[in-house]
Amino acid sequence: MEIFGQLFLNSLQISAAYILFSLGLTLIFGVMKVVNFAHGEFFGLVLLLIAVLVPWLNNSSVPLVVAYGAAGAVSILATMACGWFLYHFAFKKFQRDMVGSFVLSVGLSLLIQGLFLEFFGGVPIKLPDLIEGNLRILGGAITTQRLVLTLIALLVAVTMCWLIAATKLGKSLRAVSEDHEAAMLQGIPYRKTALYGFLIATFLAAIAGALLAPVTVISANVGSDFLIKGFIAIVIGGLGSIPGSIIGSILIAVIESVGGYYFDPSLATLAMFVITMLVLLVRPKGIMGNG
Amino acid sequence: MTNLKKIYATLALSALATVASVQAQETIKLGISAPMSGAAAVWGLGMEWTAKQAAEKINLEGGVTVGGKKYNFAVVAYDNKYTAAEGTKVAQNLINRDKVKFIVGGIGTAPISALQSLSERSGVMIFISAWGKSVKGPQFPLTFTQSNTPFEILDPLYKYVLAQNPKAKTVAILNANDASGKEVELVAQKAWAALGVKVLSSNWYERGTTQFQPVAAKLTEQKPDIIDLGVAPPADAGIVLKELGVLGWNGVKVLPVGTSATQLAQIGGAAANGTYMGYAGDYSSSLATPVQQILNQGMLAQFKEPLNPLQVSSYDSVYALKAAMEASNSIDPKKIAAVLPTLVFETSYGKTVFGSKAIYDSPQQMQVPVMITQVQDGKMVELTRIIPEELKTRLAAAK
Repeated sequence: MEIFGQLFLNSLQISAAYILFSLGLTLIFGVMKVVNFAHGEFFGLVLLLIAVLVPWLNNSSVPLVVAYGAAGAVSILATMACGWFLYHFAFKKFQRDMVGSFVLSVGLSLLIQGLFLEFFGGVPIKLPDLIEGNLRILGGAITTQRLVLTLIALLVAVTMCWLIAATKLGKSLRAVSEDHEAAMLQGIPYRKTALYGFLIATFLAAIAGALLAPVTVISANVGSDFLIKGFIAIVIGGLGSIPGSIIGSILIAVIESVGGYYFDPSLATLAMFVITMLVLLVRPKGIMGNG
Repeated sequence: MTNLKKIYATLALSALATVASVQAQETIKLGISAPMSGAAAVWGLGMEWTAKQAAEKINLEGGVTVGGKKYNFAVVAYDNKYTAAEGTKVAQNLINRDKVKFIVGGIGTAPISALQSLSERSGVMIFISAWGKSVKGPQFPLTFTQSNTPFEILDPLYKYVLAQNPKAKTVAILNANDASGKEVELVAQKAWAALGVKVLSSNWYERGTTQFQPVAAKLTEQKPDIIDLGVAPPADAGIVLKELGVLGWNGVKVLPVGTSATQLAQIGGAAANGTYMGYAGDYSSSLATPVQQILNQGMLAQFKEPLNPLQVSSYDSVYALKAAMEASNSIDPKKIAAVLPTLVFETSYGKTVFGSKAIYDSPQQMQVPVMITQVQDGKMVELTRIIPEELKTRLAAAK
């Protein structure tokens, strides 16, 4: 029982981060038909900015909680501004162009990672814990900090799902995602909706970064691992599908956690790719993909 | 002209003459292929920094004299990201684009194997810190290892750990799933077994992993007395130790490639305390030479990390190269490589030699002390320092 509790807690905390990350990826693909390989850099930018701001604020006698809050808010806003800039001067010109956007986003990813290395250096940084202490739930152990951050991440994901399912903006995003020409014929402003979709995706990557800041080791290429896992999640779940990205994220988190325990962490990574191939063989558009 | 003005004029002229003579000297480029981003970044960045310190010092002292001609050193470093793919790119950049003939620092068995496949046939001499045995031997006459590897470290480290923890009978091993990890794991398995310790499980993780909770759960599965974190760099090892602490495991922690307590303690917190390391040294203590103490202060100022054996190895390689160039009176890598194993040369540790023919069938291993350290209250404490027998014998014979 104890080990099942531990595996459940491991899966829960891993999936929360992947869900936030893959929601953004799938949203951009759905609305713009752009595979954004630079998405991990939004996540990385928030973490790197927080890594600079928190020690600076903390050394200026600002309490740690306030330092995290202020650094998180400033970093998220800066990342959103960066997202807006990249949308206007790069991605807007490559909407619905899979090849062009692929080349653009890979190039941007390499460029931004190089800039990160130049400005922030390559040495990994670990910020101080925000909340001390461990908890035992269902026989498994988890830090209080991770549990709180996981719950916040899940709350953000649920809110985002509600926004997409029940609000006017969400309906516009879904309509554009399904058939952008039909959506435009119905009076939905495509470019505005695409911009909102891109900014929401940037916000999701930024909030994932801000939530992981106290628990992860921060480096210039921190977004790369999340990007790969995020892509696996949305490919399994179905590119452009919101529920699909959540299912895919949970699936890879469970494989990582349970497979890593019963077999080997490296074999678990291998299993993710094998499952991706199997899913694509049976359902080429993913579990929840249309068609 | 007053006397003071004459002195100023003389000083200015001599400074100009020095600058002119330095500019007239030819420059020999020294390459480095090491991780400079990610979990192992501090190793590569530190290695680059110490190599530059050695090159600057040699240049200031007049450079290297070969055939009556003076040469300066200049260091060119690239990030190999600890992967074979990046290692290949770095090798191409260094050898084909920058025309480097000497590489004074290399980290990672996979990227170094990629480098070596080009360096040996291009006639480029390399000094490396890769832990794999497969990169050394008579088939690689231009390759030299600049710091200790598992074959030098594991046996004394494990013996020491067991002497301190005689009740420990079982071990679980974790290694990165790459060439370094694969080669070290084999040596570690044999070394633990030879000491009567049962290996309960041997586990792997991918470099770049960010979620270590499953790894920690797997490691503690069979309740081992010892957990050996193999080639995990300090950033990865710190997270694993923290997760082990969350799970309540508090056995004997061993990190053979542990290079410093700073990052390990910063990331692992209290869970890092007690960790035995085989690849660190206290370069601030009286056991260190004055050169090492200065380098240590520089590293602390530059990277907020104390100097470690991996980083100082490129400093020592630059000096080994200088000695071999002058002894062979050549800048041809093949002639220099032929002379190097016969020399006694100066390093940051003092005089040393290349040896270990009995292990590698070729004397390609720099003989430096094995230093066993432990993290205590977040700080590194040097427990013992072992001088290789071969070094003692060779230095006595040289006298």
